[in-house]
Amino acid sequence: MAKKLIMMRNIIKRYYIGQPNELQILNGIDLDIHEGEFVAIVGASGSGKSTLMNMIGALDKPTEGTYFLNDTDVSRLNDKQLSAIRNKEIGFVFQTFNLIPRANALKNVELPMLYAGVKKKERQERAMELLKLVEMQDRYTHKPNELSGGQKQRVAIARAMANDPSIILADEPTGALDSKTGHMVMDIFHKLHKEEGKTVVLITHSPELAAETERIITISDGSIISDTLKKEKISGANDFVEESKEHDLKDAFLQAETEVDAE
Amino acid sequence: MNIWENMKMALSSILANKLRSLLTMIGIIIGICAVITITTLGTTLRSTITTTLNSLGSNLIGAYVTTRTTSYYDSVNVEYTPDDFITYSTVERLIEKYPELRIAEENTVGSGNTKNSLGKQVNVTLVGGYNGTLDQNGSRIVSGRMLTMDDVSMKKYTCVVTNIFVRQYFKNNEEPVGQVIKLNSENGIAYEFTIVGVCTYNSLINGAFGGNEEDMATPVYIPDSIARQIQGSYGEEYMQGWVFSYDPKTDGKTAKQHLKSFFEEEYAANKNFTVEIISNQDTMMIIDIIINVITIFVAVIASISLIVGGVGVMNIMLVSVTERTREIGIRKALGAKKSTIKLQFVTEAIIMCLIGGLIGVLIGLFNGFIAGVIANLIIGSIPAAKQVLGTIVMTPSPLAIIISIIFSMITGVFFGYYPASKAAKMNPIDALRYD
Repeated sequence: MAKKLIMMRNIIKRYYIGQPNELQILNGIDLDIHEGEFVAIVGASGSGKSTLMNMIGALDKPTEGTYFLNDTDVSRLNDKQLSAIRNKEIGFVFQTFNLIPRANALKNVELPMLYAGVKKKERQERAMELLKLVEMQDRYTHKPNELSGGQKQRVAIARAMANDPSIILADEPTGALDSKTGHMVMDIFHKLHKEEGKTVVLITHSPELAAETERIITISDGSIISDTLKKEKISGANDFVEESKEHDLKDAFLQAETEVDAE
Repeated sequence: MNIWENMKMALSSILANKLRSLLTMIGIIIGICAVITITTLGTTLRSTITTTLNSLGSNLIGAYVTTRTTSYYDSVNVEYTPDDFITYSTVERLIEKYPELRIAEENTVGSGNTKNSLGKQVNVTLVGGYNGTLDQNGSRIVSGRMLTMDDVSMKKYTCVVTNIFVRQYFKNNEEPVGQVIKLNSENGIAYEFTIVGVCTYNSLINGAFGGNEEDMATPVYIPDSIARQIQGSYGEEYMQGWVFSYDPKTDGKTAKQHLKSFFEEEYAANKNFTVEIISNQDTMMIIDIIINVITIFVAVIASISLIVGGVGVMNIMLVSVTERTREIGIRKALGAKKSTIKLQFVTEAIIMCLIGGLIGVLIGLFNGFIAGVIANLIIGSIPAAKQVLGTIVMTPSPLAIIISIIFSMITGVFFGYYPASKAAKMNPIDALRYD
């Protein structure tokens, strides 16, 4: 069994705590993700999947519960330590690319390494290498507004890989792209997963994209309602083993409770 | 992330909005420019006044007999006796003891005249002098030597004439030093003097600007002991005060100290009187202080405009932080710490103010240069002023430049800090969602 990269126990997130409009978004999430997995987290708008993504990406801290990322208890860290986690352990890929508009492709890829304190020469070499990996090496001097959507996303993926993070966290990476470029981008994720052995967490609302991954976690109303593992044999044989974990009574109870609250 | 990378990043975002950055800098530019212009004018004014005053004898020290009491009623009741005055023989002993000191007294006898070999009459003023008399009026020896204490004590018939006299009297470029001239005094007696030196003529002190040089009566300096004989006042000279000067190669403070200690000793036994020592340097120092205070005062007023400039910088930084909310979110997601974001925006504000400050310094120096050109044009059109002031050289104050640049950077820190903290405090999730 591969190493446990993400271990979440009873993660609860509430907003407007102590106010009349207090809102509970996550209702006690338990989640384990192992090294080398390609996971899709699916759910409708408002299901809490974005909040979960923020939590996984160390952009936000849970109200209750524990979150171990690569053996570090993220829920106990301060801003400085969270920044370091985001910098070294997480590689973000956003729906809207989120490249720095004033900086060219190379500088954008260099940025996480700049914050990590990597020396200039090393930084440039690594950035060029990564741009080569996503086949963008010819356009390293281009600024984001001189690139197409697919090209921007490829630069963004190269940037996500900059500090060789434990997890690539992709939030609707094909959401702003047409289906053809979307497939190209998905191919890169498959390549990173297969060839580089990267752990990829894909947040999406599209069942088709989710079907491309090994494991599909479905979220609804702040709880995990299904966690389906699609075990692909290393030998490359055709038979798949499907494992489905029934979501337990407790989750169902919590969900019912939230619905009552909402009313 | 090192400071150099930070500065490059800041510069790139300043350059991304060139016009806006320039407009933001204008407040800083005007503030610094005003300060530099004013301090340049101030230091130039000071150095011009100093040079002018120096040419009039800055190395003069007066020694005056005064009553010991400071009370007016007591002082008017004290009567002088001949012993209370400073005699020539006392002064002679002083000079012997401290050879760097000179006597700068000058005693105008009256007008006189002489005839050259061609029979042409040249009018002069007969002036009794000592070894330091020229220090009193800003003249200097151009050939030969000045009168010495020996000339005075031994009553030698020697004299020092001006270069104007030389042009009036000697028509064939003869060497004047060593020549004997026959001077007719007001009392009708003619005396023969040997020229021992030639000095310059300072028209500012001696008057007679412009006019025809041929008709001018310039001073002929003769030993004061002889001058007093001509005047009919024989014997030792009893004076309440003497003006001294000192060798410019020596230190004025030491000279003043020597005078003080000498006269303290001389008057130790005198119950009623003492000698007060006042140097021209003291007066110069007061002028110096006054100009400095005025310059600093005006510069501080001008620097108030820096606050206005700083508020402009703060305003635009706040706009910039709001505009770049998303960028801040991205940077935070990629691992930028709060302190990193804060440093980035503070650096941006500092660099903006620094560039503004440097432009301000350059414009301020240019203003000073222009002011110098105009001042010289005006002075050049007035011959008398030109003779006194010469050419004005603008002297910018390096200290003011350094302080201005540091001050503009401080403005950047001060007014950039709030917007930068605002940026640093942003929640990355909200910032990433911002449109």
